[in-house]
Amino acid sequence: MPEWRSKIQERLASLNLPPAREAEIVEELYGHLQDRYDELRNSGTPDEEACRIVTLELSYSDLLAELQPIEAKHRGSIPEGEVASGHLMTDFWRDFSYAMRVLRKAPGFTLVAILTLALGIGANTAVFTIINTFLLNPLPVTNASRMVAINTSHPAKTGQSNDLRPISFLNLKDYQEKNRIFSSLTGYSSPMATTLSYGNESHRAFAEVVTGNYFDTLGIYPVTGRFFSPEEDTKPRAYPVAVIGYAAWQGRFGAASDILGRTITLNKVVFTSIGVAPKGFKGINSVFGPDMWVPSMMAEQILPPQQQNALKDRAVLTFTGAARLKPGVSLSQAQADMKTIADTLAREYPESNEGQSVALRPLTEAVIGTNQGQGLLVGSFFLMTIVGFVLLIACSNVANLLLARAAARRQEIAVRMALGAGRGRLVRQLLTESVLLGFLGGILGFFLGYAGCQFLWSFRPAEFAQNLADPKLNANVFVFSLAVALFTGLLFGIAPALRSSRTPIVEALKEETRTAGRSLSRITIANVLLIGQVAVSLVLLVVAALFLRSIRSQYAIDPGFETKNLAIVMLYPGQAGYDRTRTLQFYKDMRDRLATVPGIASVSWASNLPMWAHAEAGLTIEGQEQQKKSQEISSVVNTIDLDYFTTMSIPLVAGRDFTQDDREGSAPVVIVNDTLANRYWPNQDPLAKRLQMPGQKEFRQIVGVVKTANYQTLGEPPQSCVYVPLRQTYFDSMVLYVRTERDPASALTAVQSEIRNLDPALTVDDVRTGTKVIDQALWGAKMGVGLLGVFGFLALGLASVGLYGIVAYSVNQRRREIGIRMALGAGQGSVLGLILRQGMTLVVSGVGLGLVLSTLLGRALSKTLYAVGAIDPLSLGGASLVLLLVAFVACYLPARSASRADPLVALRTT
Amino acid sequence: MEPIEHEWKKGSAELLILSLLDEQPRHGYDIGKLIELRSGGALYFHIASFYPLLYRLENRGWILGRWVEKANQRRRRYYRLTAEGQGVLAQQRLSWKEFVGAVNRITGVEHA
Repeated sequence: MPEWRSKIQERLASLNLPPAREAEIVEELYGHLQDRYDELRNSGTPDEEACRIVTLELSYSDLLAELQPIEAKHRGSIPEGEVASGHLMTDFWRDFSYAMRVLRKAPGFTLVAILTLALGIGANTAVFTIINTFLLNPLPVTNASRMVAINTSHPAKTGQSNDLRPISFLNLKDYQEKNRIFSSLTGYSSPMATTLSYGNESHRAFAEVVTGNYFDTLGIYPVTGRFFSPEEDTKPRAYPVAVIGYAAWQGRFGAASDILGRTITLNKVVFTSIGVAPKGFKGINSVFGPDMWVPSMMAEQILPPQQQNALKDRAVLTFTGAARLKPGVSLSQAQADMKTIADTLAREYPESNEGQSVALRPLTEAVIGTNQGQGLLVGSFFLMTIVGFVLLIACSNVANLLLARAAARRQEIAVRMALGAGRGRLVRQLLTESVLLGFLGGILGFFLGYAGCQFLWSFRPAEFAQNLADPKLNANVFVFSLAVALFTGLLFGIAPALRSSRTPIVEALKEETRTAGRSLSRITIANVLLIGQVAVSLVLLVVAALFLRSIRSQYAIDPGFETKNLAIVMLYPGQAGYDRTRTLQFYKDMRDRLATVPGIASVSWASNLPMWAHAEAGLTIEGQEQQKKSQEISSVVNTIDLDYFTTMSIPLVAGRDFTQDDREGSAPVVIVNDTLANRYWPNQDPLAKRLQMPGQKEFRQIVGVVKTANYQTLGEPPQSCVYVPLRQTYFDSMVLYVRTERDPASALTAVQSEIRNLDPALTVDDVRTGTKVIDQALWGAKMGVGLLGVFGFLALGLASVGLYGIVAYSVNQRRREIGIRMALGAGQGSVLGLILRQGMTLVVSGVGLGLVLSTLLGRALSKTLYAVGAIDPLSLGGASLVLLLVAFVACYLPARSASRADPLVALRTT
Repeated sequence: MEPIEHEWKKGSAELLILSLLDEQPRHGYDIGKLIELRSGGALYFHIASFYPLLYRLENRGWILGRWVEKANQRRRRYYRLTAEGQGVLAQQRLSWKEFVGAVNRITGVEHA
């Protein structure tokens, strides 16, 4: 009995029906023929004759011609010009379901494309999540766009708007009372380090001092309990109440249900907790937030001693203003009104307010501190550019894959065009496929990006985990990923789609599969994309290498003091309720006791943490008294105990160190660094010259000059610094510096137990070593370099996958040619060489282009690099070498498999 | 008897199929066989023109095919008349009657 099924299939083949429909017709016709055959056999027809009759039946007329117009409906999902329904949604739906089928049919291609895109989109999502959290982050407050931040400015001094300072409490009160443009105006301090005691434990916690109307002005509501009432902020010390931050409630207090009414001790003062702030609200600064808020009338209990007079002294600048504009009032109107008030205050209180004005800006701009803002903005822009390039590489990879597939689909496309599909319709269909790919890649990328962000976040310093903002995954991020995905889909899809739609029908239909797509121009587009990919990945690798080298040189920077074998402990005896006498005694006792501990070389106290100092304005030099407050000299000021310079290994250049005799009542003295000395007494002996400390009346005599160190950042330009003896300037909290003979870790345990012996109530949370201080100073930079490295290698990985794909594809296309070459006697080596040469020519061109681009970019970046030239041979060479090696492997693998192919098999197959 | 000329056959084929399906659902071979039998062999459709016709009727929504499995038989596609098909059949029967009547009146086949 003949195999009718295959005969029927042959006749249907050129209809190009969907497989399911074709199978249905085959089965039905086969059934019919079988019935006919059975009938003939039953009526006694011999087998041979029956077969002949049935076969004749099938070939009697042209089945194809009859079926073609009818079956058009089933081919409808293949877009043809004539069947375009004209309904956009219907067409879209057809395209969509067809695209789904096409992608399902090629799972390998689909998987690689989606993964590639997901990596590119994921990198973008991760960076955007960071930007969204810090820069675009809408404050979780009602109608944030109507809120402004208010700061003190010094227009006469610099004219620069970014020299913004806080406002004194009394000025803030005047602004509150006299303004006519705000419906509400509040003030908040920066988060203040305090000692939080509950049970027998003491810990570091951050509290923000705010005016009573803080939460009402922001328009937020407590999760539980209440916020401050107006009378709680009227009388100093009268109402020790606190609002707890959500993260602190969850973390420090274990989400205790009895948090309301619970008493907590801050700096030895008992506060009652009255409410919990809403989840996600970490104060107005989006980077670092407090654990709790207390009313401004409790300022004295929270603020450090230098700001003790914050409530009475107009010169103590503590609060940043935040205000809600009245309906209809614009920012510039508000600015004008506030300036009038500020001018009046400057006239009324020239002592404190002269040269001061007021600056208003949208509160959303103020969520990033003025200092952090610029760096964050530039860094984000830079990272966004980098991941943009990574995405471009991913796109060009997928575009190459699509081009390769388009070549394989030439016949399919030619058939569709022969059946009347219009060009536009075809392009739309192909774009639907690529946008669908982009979309799927986008979904995966969204999750990859978020996971990456969480991973990144896990590296934040653990001690501040509750105070740092959490990455925000909100609608912004989702919309961003979606937009990137759709844009990506169009970007990598458009070239292959346009190219496919220009398929010459007759030629393509006549082609055999094996010769399909070997047109020169197709290869050219792919090659250009590939060269671009190699160039861009080289640029990213070079940038990563440049910054890596830069940070390595930063580690080699001499900060001006010895970081090895140095332990640092912050102590706050004042917050433990010590008075002045007891605090000074404590400082002395600690020094005496630690001096006897074996392994400790020297001990001292200082008010500043290394790398955390900031310049204070208002220094006056005798004989050079400036006419106006607006020409203030600023300098780092550090209050130190005896032996500080020995402990820190800061060399004395001239004069003497402080001694036991520099105490209260003796002649006021200071030591300055050589930067200050050279700046104000060039070519003179600075010893015995006198200067006036900010806010102080008496002049102090310079008794010594020391070498300049780094005070704020590693490798900073030299800053002035003035050292004041502890015995002449009281501080209620100091940093203990311990120089050890060996690894400071063991000595630190001894230090901690000595402190506990002296007073168990003292908090010893902040213990670090000198090297850790440097680590922390470079934390942000290290994270940045880490990210750059990750993105650089991601780009390299994507580019090599692309290279591998293209070489493997072209090898596959040329199997016959290679087979012929080998049959004619070409050796494995020469085939290998041939393919490698072609692949590596592209790579080398890409590297050349990349080197040119890197050099240009290096120039642009040279300002941000430390001790690394714009053209850094090591970075350029290293990155090129890594890239060439990886690219070589990507070319070698397919080349090797081609050279090992059996020529006979190669000639026979495909 | 010679098979009826192609054009006539094509014109009436739809009516024939619809009429047979009006009685009960049938599969393709059954329909073809019945047409051959009832016409005494005068009407016979080849597989290559018969099935495309069925598919066309199905596309128009006049008939509906459904795969049916019966014990000891191979799977067959049974077609039945849809409501729309019934309407069309009634219409076609009427116009066929009119057409045949008209032709008869002119050719004088019926009454002499």
